[in-house]
Order: sequence, then C-alpha cells, then structure tokens
Amino acid sequence: MNDFSELEDQLRKLRPVQPSADLVTRVERALAQESSTSTAGLLPRERRFQFNWLSLGLGLATATALVLFAFVRMHEPSKKMPAVVSTSPAPAIANDQLVAAGLTQVVYHTRDEGVHFPNNSGQPMRRVRSHTRDTLQWRNPKTGATLRISYPREEVSLTPVSGQ
Amino acid sequence: MENVATDENWKTCFCQLAPSLVLFARQWTRSAADAEDIVQEAFVRFWRKQHDIANRGLLYATVRSIALDFIRRDSRRARRESVAMSDGDPKVEPAFAIEDDSQHALVAALDSLPIEQREVLVMKIWNELTFVEIASALEISQNTAASRYRYALAALKKNLATT
Repeated sequence: MNDFSELEDQLRKLRPVQPSADLVTRVERALAQESSTSTAGLLPRERRFQFNWLSLGLGLATATALVLFAFVRMHEPSKKMPAVVSTSPAPAIANDQLVAAGLTQVVYHTRDEGVHFPNNSGQPMRRVRSHTRDTLQWRNPKTGATLRISYPREEVSLTPVSGQ
Repeated sequence: MENVATDENWKTCFCQLAPSLVLFARQWTRSAADAEDIVQEAFVRFWRKQHDIANRGLLYATVRSIALDFIRRDSRRARRESVAMSDGDPKVEPAFAIEDDSQHALVAALDSLPIEQREVLVMKIWNELTFVEIASALEISQNTAASRYRYALAALKKNLATT
C-alpha cells in the first residue's frame, strides 16, 4: 500500500466516455478495404529479434574451416608444400604433427572464351576459363587423424594463337 | 492472445480495448470524434500488420504516433488544439463521465498535468498497462515511467489539497 492508493482508487472510479456506437462499424469498413490510406511513415516498428540459424551455422562452419586451415599452415614447414602439389604422400615423421598427404584437383567446368588481344597487344591469345575444386589432405601418422580442406578455384589460361 | 485476423477476433479485441484507446488518444485531441478517428486508423494499421494483439506497448505506441501525426497534419487543427490545451477551452468535450463535484475537481487536476505525466497516468490507471509496457510505448526506461507516474500522483494530490 503506498501513499497514493486512495487517490488511485478515486481515479479508477472515473469512467471514460464510451466511444460512439458506429466506431466498430467504421473499423469494420476500414478493415474490409483492400489497402490502407497513405501513412506518414511514423508508425513504430515492433522490436522483434529474429535469429537466422542457417546463417549462423554456415558462418560457424566457415570460421572453423578457416581457423583449422590457418592452424595447419602455421604448424606446417613451407618446404612440405611441393609434396602436396606433387600428390605423393609425404614421408612419415616421428613427431606428432599433421603432414601433407595429398592434393586432388577436379576440373568440373571449362569454357573457351575465344580469341582476345590482352593489354592491347598484337598477339592474339585464346582465353580458356576453368573452374576447379582443389582438395588438400593432411594426416597425422601417429594418431591417424586426417584433415581435408576443399575450395573452389577459377583459372584463366591464355594460349598464343598462331596466324596460320 | 494471437492476432488471427478473423472477423470475430478483431471485434472482440477492439470492443475490449476501444474505450481505453479512445481515452488515451483524447490527450492529444479535444474532440471525441478526432480521438476515435485516431483509434480507428491505429487499430486498422496495427491489425493489418499482423502484430500480436498482446503487445499492448506497441499498440499504444501506434495510437500515440498517429495522434501526434494527426496534429502535425493539419496546422490549423494543431493551433486550435494548442490554444484549447493552454486556455482550458470550455468547448472541450469531457473525456470522463463526471458524476459529482469531487470528480469534476479530479478531472480538472488531471487536465492540468504535463502531458508526459498524464499519458503515463492514463496508461497505468485506465488502460492497466505495466511499467514495462508503458516504457515500451513511450520509448523511455521503466524507471522514468514509474517516476512520471509518481510525479503525476503527487501533483494531483497537491492540486486537490489546495482546491
């Protein structure tokens, strides 16, 4: 009970004037209309938090792959990269590290874009654009754990065209 | 209560809310007809947007927004309302069904409150909104809403004691 309870009771006894009887009819007619009249754009918007779980999942998956990729790149000596490119298994080493185990390149689309003169040169060049999916694989020889990363790659090759 | 746009639902909701909404809109207009126009427009827009009817903070915010826009839309009306509010125009239609002199004094004291206190009081007493809902409707903090309510009651009490 506060100091104003008596005053609040007096206020509650005040009866608001009832709206006119045709207000419901007017609202009914307005709701029946197809579209509303123009607004001043001042209507408040409902604060509704919408969570896109699909975006979150994709984002987390991408972030995880990037972190793993960066982790592997940091712990892997740079001289091992040729072994990956050569697609031959690297020799097993004793320490507990991931070592490059292979590289797969799948060209899934190739498009011949015709003859071009790149950089305003006089030599005509045939431009071929290919889309490839590269898959790199690492393996821990001690534990048998493997890590595989795939990424798309676009390659544009220019081949000189002879005039004959 | 879910806002399902059926004929029976909107009528039930509107009939329950209309008197309080009209009283709320009357704070910015001095005629019942204008207040009803505001409530009609607000309710129709609110309902068409498929908002949850239980979100009373948003409903009252819509009424308030349209009421303020209603005044802005017509400068002559705005001037007339301003003069009416400041001078206590006797032509102003009563917002309450007054039964005795004590209620007359109470309504007069209510009309003398600053608008920011009066709107909180109207929402709290006659619309039974919580401070959370009032804060949401007015885009203020709950503490501010509660403070304005207390200030309004204190001002009313002081006003009634001097008359």
